[in-house]
Amino acid sequence: MTAARNMAEYPTSDTSRRAVALPRGRRGAELAMLCFAVGIMAFAYIAAGLGLNGHVPSGLVTFVAVFAVLMVLAHLVVRKFASWADPLLLPLAAVLNGLGIVMIYRLQESGRGGNPGLPIITLTSHAALYQLMWTAVGIAAFIAVLIVIREPRVLQRYTYTLGTIGLILLAIPALLPSSLSSVNGAKVWIILGGFSIQPGEFARIALAVFFAGYLVAKRDVLSLAGRRFMGIDLPRARDLGPILVLWAISMLILIFESDIGTSALFFGLFIAMLYIATQRKSWLLIGLLLFVAGALLAGTVIPHVHERFTIWLHPFDPHTIYSSSEQLAQGLEGMAFGGIFGTGLGLGEPFRTPLVQSDFIFTGFGEELGLTGLMALLLIFGLLVQRGLRAAMATRDPFAKLLAAGLSFVIALQVFIIVGGVTQLIPLTGITTPFLSQGGSSLVASWMVIAVLMRVSDTARRPAPQPIQDEGLTQVVRAV
Amino acid sequence: MNRAIRRLSIASLVLFVLLMVNVNYLQVFRVNTLAAEAGNARVFDLQFKNWRGEIIAAGDTGGADQVVAKSKLVKGGIYKRAYPLGKEYAPVTGYDSILGTTSPFGLTGIEQAENKFLAGTAPSLAVYNLKGLFTGKPKQGASVYLTISPRAQEAAYQALVAMGKPAAAVAINPRTGAILAMASYPTFNPNAYTTLDSGQLAKVDKRIRTNPNGLLLNRAINDTFPPGSTFKLVTSSAAFTTGKVANQNATIPAPTAYLLPGSHTSLLNDGGAPCGNGHPTMVYALTVSCNTAFAKLGDTVGGSALHNMANAYGFNNPNLTIPLPVTPSAYPGPAADAPALTDPAQIALSAIGQFNDTETPLQEAMVAATIANHGTTMRPYLVGQIKAPDQSTVQTAQPTALAHPITSAQAGYLTAMMEGVTQNPSGTAYQTAGPPSTTILIAGKTGTAQNGVNNSHLDDAVFTCFAPASNPTIAVGVIVKGGGFGADAAAPIALKIIQAYLRQH
Repeated sequence: MTAARNMAEYPTSDTSRRAVALPRGRRGAELAMLCFAVGIMAFAYIAAGLGLNGHVPSGLVTFVAVFAVLMVLAHLVVRKFASWADPLLLPLAAVLNGLGIVMIYRLQESGRGGNPGLPIITLTSHAALYQLMWTAVGIAAFIAVLIVIREPRVLQRYTYTLGTIGLILLAIPALLPSSLSSVNGAKVWIILGGFSIQPGEFARIALAVFFAGYLVAKRDVLSLAGRRFMGIDLPRARDLGPILVLWAISMLILIFESDIGTSALFFGLFIAMLYIATQRKSWLLIGLLLFVAGALLAGTVIPHVHERFTIWLHPFDPHTIYSSSEQLAQGLEGMAFGGIFGTGLGLGEPFRTPLVQSDFIFTGFGEELGLTGLMALLLIFGLLVQRGLRAAMATRDPFAKLLAAGLSFVIALQVFIIVGGVTQLIPLTGITTPFLSQGGSSLVASWMVIAVLMRVSDTARRPAPQPIQDEGLTQVVRAV
Repeated sequence: MNRAIRRLSIASLVLFVLLMVNVNYLQVFRVNTLAAEAGNARVFDLQFKNWRGEIIAAGDTGGADQVVAKSKLVKGGIYKRAYPLGKEYAPVTGYDSILGTTSPFGLTGIEQAENKFLAGTAPSLAVYNLKGLFTGKPKQGASVYLTISPRAQEAAYQALVAMGKPAAAVAINPRTGAILAMASYPTFNPNAYTTLDSGQLAKVDKRIRTNPNGLLLNRAINDTFPPGSTFKLVTSSAAFTTGKVANQNATIPAPTAYLLPGSHTSLLNDGGAPCGNGHPTMVYALTVSCNTAFAKLGDTVGGSALHNMANAYGFNNPNLTIPLPVTPSAYPGPAADAPALTDPAQIALSAIGQFNDTETPLQEAMVAATIANHGTTMRPYLVGQIKAPDQSTVQTAQPTALAHPITSAQAGYLTAMMEGVTQNPSGTAYQTAGPPSTTILIAGKTGTAQNGVNNSHLDDAVFTCFAPASNPTIAVGVIVKGGGFGADAAAPIALKIIQAYLRQH
């Protein structure tokens, strides 16, 4: 009641701002697009059920209602705590998250309960429900980030703390016994009871914060002080030291955990942020050379990596088609089977591709939604990255700029590594597809990244404080 | 810093463009190559997801059509093949196993020969399937309408089962060449091959394939037997066309024993009996099936003329398909490309179907059908029509003549001779296909072929005939391995088929 009277009595900041034609928050547009995203999820869910067995799935109302409530909740929190944030980010993430749930539902139903196809033994019959629950956790994390971090620069205070946390998170699976950390050969998990999380997904955000904080503090010395060697400006060792050491440690941990995809992701994040901070192209050159050299070296020295190269070049080799290259071959055949329009949800045979619910979910979409669906998905990812980079450009705070650019670019890189891997563009390294793949850690971490990007864009678009006109409003005195 | 971010954003764009180009390449340009990869399970599974056309026996004019192969929707949106009449139609339908076209043994019979239509992949069905693409209907195959008469086929198969010896029977419409019945015994149950379990299929296939009775062999068109005395029809035809014998009432020399020229072996008639007065008419010689008369006639006509006549009737043709490939019948044999005989003793034996001559039951029926059709051999065929799922006709059989071995008048002479076999009380088939058994006027010829080393095996029983002799609508060839006298074993089977088809007794 009091709030309502206040609204009526005092001109809201919104109307006063509109009077001077400042940018709008566009929350209404966000809500409309969010409804559209939920609608896509609902229709995809119905289509999957009809495709599988000709019936509308029994859990339709529950699933769609829970998903819609979560998204509207996120929207309301944005409205309250980040009202100037980019209106596209939330709906884009929502449509990806929704389609991911539908695909996991479709895969979990395969061959079960009289549906056509073969059951996927690596997928439980409650996988979609778990994914929905993880979505709830993801939205909670999203809300928490938005509420706790009111300004991006708050994070800057915890540069070293977060760097340490990131390293610890990365190191835990390497130190744990395999029984508590290893799934399918990758030692990147923490398994407690029936519960497993991938700390690396969160470490990525922590380390991005650390890189941003450190590079902002040191960017002048990094780009100005130093020697010129063979036409390239090299920074002083003492400035670069800590960051190189941290990077090397994280690399070592990743190699010990046999997670080459994540390690490539960290490397890309590191190089990109270094380049933005110093504006020196030499870093890109050095980074690319290091990466190619490292990849070739790993390809010849580490048998596991060498095999990846062989599979990439010859996925249909009759000697490996039913063992190591089966996954890639099946994924490619599935995508070809889908063709331009796809078989339709529930009508293809994505269950033939091992682990189609995680690393290969993109080929599952390719099979059932076809080229049309994949182009839409890639455009959504592209748009997500572009909106993130736009937030980075718009903000004036160098730390926020660096953080947002790094986190956005890492989404592009992640999509490139996994989608390029499953489509035979580059050698395959298993990482998750953001928002689509089954798995809680990736989903929660991705929602946290969206929250950070929205916070940055909110700060960037928020108009400068207006001169105070109504003295009556200034009577609140805060005692600190 | 914004300049660097802008560049990074271009780099991201390049990454996404690379992905999009590659996905387009994969899902548009690489589709066919990937679909053709060995062991592509999705392409393989397509056969179970599309409705495969039916095979329908539709040869009874005015009678009911009989579905002999159909697709049933089983659990999980998968179609499973079923053969409602199983063994009866096995030599015709063949089977459609889950191996499909991926294995040379995946499909047989009509399932293989008309697979393109049944599976819906034939180019002539493209327009129909295109319509389906837009209406969202799953791809459907076309149905194959056979010329088989359900009545004749049932009678043929039941008669073979009752006989219980390796045998086959073929019935033809002499006017068109349409095959009315094609049965073989013993045979297999094609339903055993429709299992969706590849392990089970391998087991079933091994059991059936290694069965010593040769269950998969279609004896009607892929097994050959000595024609025995039925070959005397070909010898007689050659005698008429070469002008050595004027007509059916002309007399020919028939010694009680015929010393084969250039040898010390004498050929006797059955039981060493004399042949009439030694100068029987053609009608009488065929009625009682004199060996000496026709052996000598063969020598009079000559090896080359017999070879030409046999070729005209359809022997030695390696390219005949109905559309199932037919094993060539061979004269003088043993292979289809053997040259004409020059040795008189061999010519004499071959003229009564005893040398190296072999023929399929289908060829047996074709000889009778030619005589019934005024001397014109029609190309035999099994498929009458192919209809798209919307019942529009995709293809209709056009009866075509293969050859004209004899004139209409000569066909008349032979008809009269063959009527003697069943109507004359001394005829070899008087009891089994003549007035004592039926009111139908059947023109026929029996054969009892000795075979094996020194004729150690049981004789094969052969019967070739057509009916009604005045206006023939069905010609039948039956061979029973080890059946003994042709009149005893083979003729009753032919009679049952004719009775069923004509619905007369």
